[in-house]
Amino acid sequence: MVRRLMAAALLALLTGPAMAGGLSVPVLVPVSGFLSLEGTSQRNGAVLALQGVPASLGLASGVIDVGTSPATAVTALQKALDRGGVVAVGASMLGTQMLAMMPVAQSAGVPLVTVSGTAEITERGNPEVFRFFPSDATAKEAHARYVVEVLHRRRPAIIYQTTAYGQSGHVHLDESFRKLGVTPVFEDGVDISVNDMAPVLARALAAHPDVLVIHLHAQPTALFIRAAAARGVDLPIVAGSAMHQPSTAALLQPAELKGVCAETASSPVSGGSPAMADFLTRYRAAFHAEPDAYAVGQYDGMRMVIDAIEHGARSPAAVQAALAHGRYQGLAMTYWSDGKGNMAHSVEIVCYDGRSRVPQVVKSYTLPAP
Amino acid sequence: MIALAADALALAAAYALVALGFVLVVKATGVVNFAQGDLVAAGGVLAALAGDAAGLSGVVVLIAVAIAMAGIGFVLAAAAWLPVRRRPAEAAFITTIAFGLILREGLTLAAGPQPRAVAPLVAGGPVTVFGAAVPRQDLAIILVAGVVMLAQAWLFTRTQLGRRLRAVAADAEMARACGIPATAMVVLSFALATALAGVGGVLIANRTFVAPGGGTGLILRAYIATALGGWGSLPGAVAGAAIVALFETLVATFVSYPAATAGLYLMVLAVLAVRPRGLFGEAVGRRA
Repeated sequence: MVRRLMAAALLALLTGPAMAGGLSVPVLVPVSGFLSLEGTSQRNGAVLALQGVPASLGLASGVIDVGTSPATAVTALQKALDRGGVVAVGASMLGTQMLAMMPVAQSAGVPLVTVSGTAEITERGNPEVFRFFPSDATAKEAHARYVVEVLHRRRPAIIYQTTAYGQSGHVHLDESFRKLGVTPVFEDGVDISVNDMAPVLARALAAHPDVLVIHLHAQPTALFIRAAAARGVDLPIVAGSAMHQPSTAALLQPAELKGVCAETASSPVSGGSPAMADFLTRYRAAFHAEPDAYAVGQYDGMRMVIDAIEHGARSPAAVQAALAHGRYQGLAMTYWSDGKGNMAHSVEIVCYDGRSRVPQVVKSYTLPAP
Repeated sequence: MIALAADALALAAAYALVALGFVLVVKATGVVNFAQGDLVAAGGVLAALAGDAAGLSGVVVLIAVAIAMAGIGFVLAAAAWLPVRRRPAEAAFITTIAFGLILREGLTLAAGPQPRAVAPLVAGGPVTVFGAAVPRQDLAIILVAGVVMLAQAWLFTRTQLGRRLRAVAADAEMARACGIPATAMVVLSFALATALAGVGGVLIANRTFVAPGGGTGLILRAYIATALGGWGSLPGAVAGAAIVALFETLVATFVSYPAATAGLYLMVLAVLAVRPRGLFGEAVGRRA
């Protein structure tokens, strides 16, 4: 009996994760809190990517819900690192959490793979940050160019969220419009707690815009579009990436989406390559939900890490070098680092036809890094 | 301007139902029901789930939710008031907060944290009123809330049951001495208040979206409406709700959202400084 227990303990020691020779890629994402929808997408993408890993790689993983608190994220990261064997981390998309985790990751020399859009995370010279989602600078340039070059509108009204996400997007939208020689006729920030968009819509319309440009989180985006549709506003609306999420479109009737477009890194539900179609099938089967660009971005990021490990990277430094200097053809686009950790340089514009909640891709941009 | 007025009236109507339910419990028990916001959110979530599951129309869902929420009101009274009705008032504050939290987290576990849309009361685009495009849904909300408020007023002023409810709210011991089952009337008040909260939740969810955790802001609005209108005053609750809605729509439109919020709270301070019992509150001396 004692011998059996000792044998079992020895077996557990030899095959447990993060022991000598075992590699680990923990996933720290905000599954609860105000970012739960996006965080769940991020988690699902990471989990799906790790499901395909051959056992011979000896790669372990685990998902940890870090909520929305920076302190919780840092604690979770530190605990994961303390277990040893970590070669990369699937890191929260929440900008404030990323900014808090970055010094820890840099100190440990472990790369963070994220889909956070907050511009600042790649502006601090941290070599361990790798963003698999277009930065605000890239996304908002595409956003503005579509409005001006394709829709030929020159009197935009910009409505943005007063959160860090919204303010970052507003700054880059403003810059992008001014580079195109366009001055917005109206600009206003809306707190995330606001439920009635009629006032800001009324003020925006009073400025006589020819297009409504919004950069809001998911629910406020849907509220704004609903308010516009309820009042028969027939101006085109070009929204931020929150609109592309199937969970956002599900809040609205197809008819309310007529005339609405959005920028996004990708739109998996819109179809595309056979690989994307296969991803869509597997995602729906695994999670009984529709994937969005965050899921695809995180999937691609984790797959690039796994690809590096499959090609011999067995340490955090080797994985970091592969991410920093390599190129990877993912589902959404080809990823490469601009030297700051921005890996995604393509943006799509999707539009809804008013008959369906599934948008069509109408324009693609591949932009140089700023 | 007409569309804006409709927007303000619709919001005022929905908030009025929430505030009325809040005041009903205050009048009946002297207890501030801190679960009111969560009850409103629960009404909206139940409406969303019923619409998704059974494909029922908005009006049918409204009636079903009102009945279901009344049932929850009985549970609320049994769990959060009856056991502590002879304890200091602070005990009921805690039990109602606890009930609200349990309700919120239970709905989150059952239905998920994501926001949901509720089927409209009336489908279709805007209607033209004196040349202005007014959302059809706003007009439906005003109508439904008006009918509910009139029904509640009729119940309280024209029926024996309503007279009993008012008697217990005015003086429970005297009412009991007159043979009125005071405890049963209080429990019924909870059921009515919760039904009103549920209907309010459905109407609010028709304008916005609803999630289990969306009640926090609503309890604050109900509290402000009651403080402005006067504790224990049903007409005051309606007036207070209208003031809150006016700030959130008209001031937000003509100035800004931050100005609307700041202005509302400044008004609350001013009213309480000049008239502490609220605009329609009873004079304390008269009750003695």
